[in-house]
Amino acid sequence: MAIRASILDELRRIVGPAGYLDQPSDIEPYTIDHRRLYRGATPLVLRPQSTEEVSRILRLCNEERIGVVPIGGNTSYCGGATPSADGNQIVVSLARMRRIRSIDPDNFTLIAEAGCVLQEVQEAAAAVDRLFPLSLGSEGSCQLGGNLSTNAGGTAVLRYGMMRDLVLGLEVVLPDGRIWDGLSQLRKDNTGYDLRNLFIGAEGTLGIITAASCKLFSRPRELITAFAAVADPSAAVTLLSRLRAATGDAVSTFELIPRFGLDLVIRHVPGTSDPFDEAHSWYVLTEVSSARTDSELREIIERELFAAIENGTVRDAVIAQNEAQREAFWRLRESIPEGQRLEGASIKHDISVPTSALPRFIEEASAMLNSLVPDARILPYGHLGDGNLHFNLSVPVGGDAAQFMARAGQIHSAMYDLVARYGGSFSAEHGIGQLKRTELARYKHPVALEVMRAIKQTLDPNGIMNPGKVL
Amino acid sequence: MSKILVALKRVVDANIRVRVKPDGSGVATEGVKMSINPFDEIALEEALRIKEKGAAAEVVVASVGPDDAQQQLRTGLAMGADRAIHVRADQPIEPLAVARVLLKLIEREQPKIVLLGKQAIDDDNNQTGQMLAALWNRPQATFASKVELSGDTARVSREVDTGLETIEIDLPAVITTDLRLNEPRYVKLPEIMKAKKKPLETLALDELGVDITPQFKVLNYAPPPARQKGIMVKDVAELVATLKQRGLL
Repeated sequence: MAIRASILDELRRIVGPAGYLDQPSDIEPYTIDHRRLYRGATPLVLRPQSTEEVSRILRLCNEERIGVVPIGGNTSYCGGATPSADGNQIVVSLARMRRIRSIDPDNFTLIAEAGCVLQEVQEAAAAVDRLFPLSLGSEGSCQLGGNLSTNAGGTAVLRYGMMRDLVLGLEVVLPDGRIWDGLSQLRKDNTGYDLRNLFIGAEGTLGIITAASCKLFSRPRELITAFAAVADPSAAVTLLSRLRAATGDAVSTFELIPRFGLDLVIRHVPGTSDPFDEAHSWYVLTEVSSARTDSELREIIERELFAAIENGTVRDAVIAQNEAQREAFWRLRESIPEGQRLEGASIKHDISVPTSALPRFIEEASAMLNSLVPDARILPYGHLGDGNLHFNLSVPVGGDAAQFMARAGQIHSAMYDLVARYGGSFSAEHGIGQLKRTELARYKHPVALEVMRAIKQTLDPNGIMNPGKVL
Repeated sequence: MSKILVALKRVVDANIRVRVKPDGSGVATEGVKMSINPFDEIALEEALRIKEKGAAAEVVVASVGPDDAQQQLRTGLAMGADRAIHVRADQPIEPLAVARVLLKLIEREQPKIVLLGKQAIDDDNNQTGQMLAALWNRPQATFASKVELSGDTARVSREVDTGLETIEIDLPAVITTDLRLNEPRYVKLPEIMKAKKKPLETLALDELGVDITPQFKVLNYAPPPARQKGIMVKDVAELVATLKQRGLL
């Protein structure tokens, strides 16, 4: 049922003339997801500028049973912030709530509003000589609220953890409009159920996070970036363990790249080149950092890599001598999605298994995929350090894209079944959104699903929060 | 066989945004990533390629600067230089003084070519190479984008306002390098380990008897004015109106 005009007017009044968009051309960007998998519709995008306004919006929508879709930077990979196509849901953008409310360098914390762009949070921390470590490809446009709602990961999870690990407290507006001020700046607070972690990763289905109290760290001063050719994934895991032990867990990044990934980048992305004279089967990009300037980290890394070359774990290695070289190494890793897109049709998975099981998993999954699509080109790459691989396939050379993509469902099922046998996850860092709801129902433990539904029912009995997502 | 001397300067890394100290006395360097001046890195790469082609027997890198400049010399050795000379100087020294120091090293080393960057990215002086050629009383080829050796001469292509100019000079000579000359190699791990054992000699400035008296005094450092934030306009009409209002259209 379409939303009544009088209610739309009331919603407009809550946020004032500068706080909403209702012209089709203004609304359109909010109805298409980042990957262009979904196209929704909405009569109204609200842009509140205070927690109080968010509260009044939700109270009204709850009374009137109107679905509410919270949106941040619209960078979801799973359509998590795109409204349904029937036009019966309103969108709430947090973009105008982008204040850093406070920053406490001696407590190593800051409080930021949900609409802050991730990069702004990083910069606010850097301005007081601190680090906010969450770092991912879309950091120039994604917002803190989205990072919280999806429990974002990225390239520094190995050392600093996921978003969940970086939060001390939240301010949340519940579906009925009540405001929970849980902006604790405490690291120790054992007083009942951990509500904070209920809302982190809930993808906006339990309420709207309006602000968060985040952990900060010492800003790294020495950064060592190496690109190494390794014998195989098993050698990569061995190398990671050695580096973690030798540096006292100072490894912040450890990314696995197969030869096919490097080929795609060199072929399609201008200005990239192979760091080595010969081709190798597997590579790792690793970064180690220290807040000390006099650290011996560089020597430790050189010594460990050299020993690894001597014993055959590492085939060859280069260390960035300046920022330009460091950026060139990172570009090889970060251009893989672009390289694969330019190569043609692809089928993607965002999976995780325990790091120690990854080598065996890669072998088994590759054999399985090749038996399903004999000439498919397999591209398992990504965050080996935290067990998360983007295990993708590119269409066979000269193969028919539509025919290949028609196999996606079958390939996903086979892949996720295998992941489940390894005790892994079918969605490591991208969440569920509307893309992976079937998988959630199939692979999540039934008791976990029951508890999740019970929580949803208790907090949002009218089901107004981000309907059609997650559960 | 002949020798090439390459000068390397330690500078704030080209990709780091520099910050002026609050009191205006200079650029903050504490905890800031330092690297070889990129133009000097290109000079070293060229020297190594000349040696690899068999046209030189030895590549010697030299740097005038604080003790930390040895890090950049070690990088130079890891890239493939044979040995390094560090002339210790804790105070900032000007291009003329550096040219005088390099002249002393030339007298000791008798190189066939002295290669260095056309300028250092910290002070952008673009003077040392030219001053050195004058003091040495030998030819110079500046802003090299291509270097070809043949016996005792070098053909050097240089970028000038009107296009490319190719000149031929007699060796020994000073050649300063431009960005397009080459792309410096990555430093491989086994080379880094080898470099730790290569000779690195340290000399004191006064041992060389060079006059380093500053010729000018910097009064103040100030950052460029901050860029104003952009504004969002609602539609084309507002865009045009705003541009007109600011006298831009």
